Amino acid sequence: MQGTANPEIKAKILAYLETVEKAKSKEIAQAIGEKKADVDLGVKELALEDKVEYLYITTTFVALKGKVGKPN
Amino acid sequence: MTEKKTPQLDELEKGPWPSFVSEIKRAAVKSEAAKDLLNLLERSYEDKKGHWKHGGIVGVKGYGGGVIGRYTDLPGEFPHVAEFHTMRLNQPSGWFYTTDKLRQICDIWEKHGSGLTNFHGSTGDIILLGTKTEHLQPAFDEYSDAGFDLGGSGSDLRTPSCCVGPGRCEHACYDTLDMCYDITNEFQDELHRPMWPYKFKIKMSGCANDCVASIARADCSVIGTWRDTLTIDQDAIKAYAAEGLDIQGMVCDKCPTRALKYDAAKQELHVIPEDCSRCMHCINVLPKAVQPGQEKGATILLGGKSTIVQSAFLAWVIVPFMKMEAPYTEFKDLMRRIWEWWDENGKTRERVGELIYRVGMGRFLREVGLAPVPQMVFRPRANPYVFWPQDEIVK
Amino acid sequence: MSRIDAGPPNYREMLPPIILQNYGKWQYHELPQPGVLKHVSENGSELYSVRVGSPRLVSIDFIREICDLADTYCDGYLRFTSRNNIEFLVGDPVKVAPLLQALEAKGLPVGGTGNALSNIVHTQGWVHCHTPATDASGIVKSVMDDLFEHFGHMDLPAKLKIAMACCLNMCGAVHCSDIAILGVHRTPPRVNDEIIQKGTEIPTLVGACPTGAIRPNPKTKSVVVNEERCMYCGNCYTMSPGMQILDEKNDGVAILVGGKVSNARTAPSFSRLVIPFMPNNPPRWPEVTEAVHHIVDVWMKYARRGERVGEWIERIGWEKFFGLTGLPFSDKLIDDFIFSKETFRTTAAFKY
Repeated sequence: MQGTANPEIKAKILAYLETVEKAKSKEIAQAIGEKKADVDLGVKELALEDKVEYLYITTTFVALKGKVGKPN
Repeated sequence: MTEKKTPQLDELEKGPWPSFVSEIKRAAVKSEAAKDLLNLLERSYEDKKGHWKHGGIVGVKGYGGGVIGRYTDLPGEFPHVAEFHTMRLNQPSGWFYTTDKLRQICDIWEKHGSGLTNFHGSTGDIILLGTKTEHLQPAFDEYSDAGFDLGGSGSDLRTPSCCVGPGRCEHACYDTLDMCYDITNEFQDELHRPMWPYKFKIKMSGCANDCVASIARADCSVIGTWRDTLTIDQDAIKAYAAEGLDIQGMVCDKCPTRALKYDAAKQELHVIPEDCSRCMHCINVLPKAVQPGQEKGATILLGGKSTIVQSAFLAWVIVPFMKMEAPYTEFKDLMRRIWEWWDENGKTRERVGELIYRVGMGRFLREVGLAPVPQMVFRPRANPYVFWPQDEIVK
Repeated sequence: MSRIDAGPPNYREMLPPIILQNYGKWQYHELPQPGVLKHVSENGSELYSVRVGSPRLVSIDFIREICDLADTYCDGYLRFTSRNNIEFLVGDPVKVAPLLQALEAKGLPVGGTGNALSNIVHTQGWVHCHTPATDASGIVKSVMDDLFEHFGHMDLPAKLKIAMACCLNMCGAVHCSDIAILGVHRTPPRVNDEIIQKGTEIPTLVGACPTGAIRPNPKTKSVVVNEERCMYCGNCYTMSPGMQILDEKNDGVAILVGGKVSNARTAPSFSRLVIPFMPNNPPRWPEVTEAVHHIVDVWMKYARRGERVGEWIERIGWEKFFGLTGLPFSDKLIDDFIFSKETFRTTAAFKY
């Protein structure tokens, strides 16, 4: 993943993640109509900014930071 | 509080093989978490079942993997393992260490973890077993300062690993240690930011003996080979004969393609070059006399995985021969094309081998841009059910 | 300050001078004695590697102890193998014998080279895994104690690689080993509707079943299991804690034999099921250790020199393997999953 992410795409990722518990970046890309590579880059930056996090629940998902809690 | 008794585990301190129970007890002297682990494990031995819950959500800032959340289902009774997470550290190529580096790993883990480790995990990482959520970031920061980084976990590139290679093996047909280091650095995003349908493993073996079991354990297996003919030193053959080695029986008769002829009178061994399939047997038995050819590189195989779900697959040939020299551009380009195709077409939790099995090798080769060659199959199909492309049909 | 994506340490900084000087120039190697490899380079340099078994699950004090040994005898350099052994890299031949004495004094076993038993690669088991059907470390310890003499002696027909995985996920990739010890479940998952309602994606869970045994249940917003179709792989339990598959009364151990990964002589191949189930009998799993020991004994008695377990069995035929070992053959050993056909005997040529 090269370069800097498009801020508009980052905003769209955050807006979409507001509407779901968690999603795979492929699903985010489909939902917001952007290329998956651009979404991957946006997610990378958002994770470094502590706004989203990766969750490994049988496969890896992306979610807004803190949205999904510990197992009971 | 009185010390809990662990009669079943104590039994596993007896016998000549080094005991993991003694190791947990050693760690328990300094760590309450290790002590609780010992007692929890004794409980498992009584109950005949595990006491760990499904992984939770833990991590290090900026990383999507490298930490595995672990929580016991008996936190009331064993509070020090209520959180007992694993950190995976990316091992140096070939698992070579200086004692200074190993001591640094230990010192940091004494401060931030249970003091228990695996050298190494199945994929190759250094496994640091057991810490609490609050220690993850500080531990990572210190490991980072010491020159270590996290390995992979989740739906990402898992930590690549390789055999000892040219560091200490005469069979290495390419520099496995360098390639492993190079591609690990190249693919840091793929390793640390899971974005794929599922995991992807790369393992590199310098020859077809495959000491890292790449063909069975990696989605992409890179196995050293050569394209010309093996070289035979006849003086060394005579020396083996003089030692009494049964060259006909132990070497020629076991050659899978009957490509070796031994002249017992002259004590000379000859290869029929076009019949040799480069399996390594003769080289293994006669390392002083027989060596790989000069034109070295690697075979790329794809699709290996273990049993879950659609049965185990051994990786199969997708590139019979590729030159394998830094900066490994051809290999990296191929990996990127494969990942893009798999990411586009794969279902969640579908390994690349399962995807190819589902949609067909023909489509994979066309869409990834690889030429079909007979080395990819043991034999052609026995049915005529070809999916003909429309442009080959007369209209 | 921590860095992001700094990558692993550079392996070149971990290599002893003798390896840096002879990198890519090694010419051949010999086994002067079990557990000791002697590599000789083009210019005559000699490197001795002393291979030592480890339980893999070790404390930091164990690591510090082997560091002390490496400081004394190897100028501070060592490595680990793909089978969790430690290799002390000795550049000075004079130091080999004292290192071997020091290892013996510490009770650390030297071996695992050539036609010997190598260390058992294995998984976490009850120590740290959330889906295990059995423990891994305890069985490994018991089997290695039982077969200990074969680790330190190169007296086997060929090399012997045993692997242990505590469930069908096979993190230890046991499926291509001479002898594989595998934790298995035998009962279908018990569905906990409440857990599934809370956090499980039903389509993914349904899709995870390889036999289509799981169907959504719209009434309960959960799933139902067609128990007749379930083959207890546990994949659904990996997907959701609401599909409890652990069953202390019925979980246990299976044995598979005859796999290999090396291409030498014969192609890499899978291990094949020969004992479908043995009970979990901690702490020492006597049924398992006896079965493994017995298979090794029969192989030693009947194999020709240089034959791995699978090569021996393929030469004599599986029907003879069951005859020689006395292991009972049953319909449980005949594949009835999706790739079964290739294992059926489509020839009239066989033995009795």
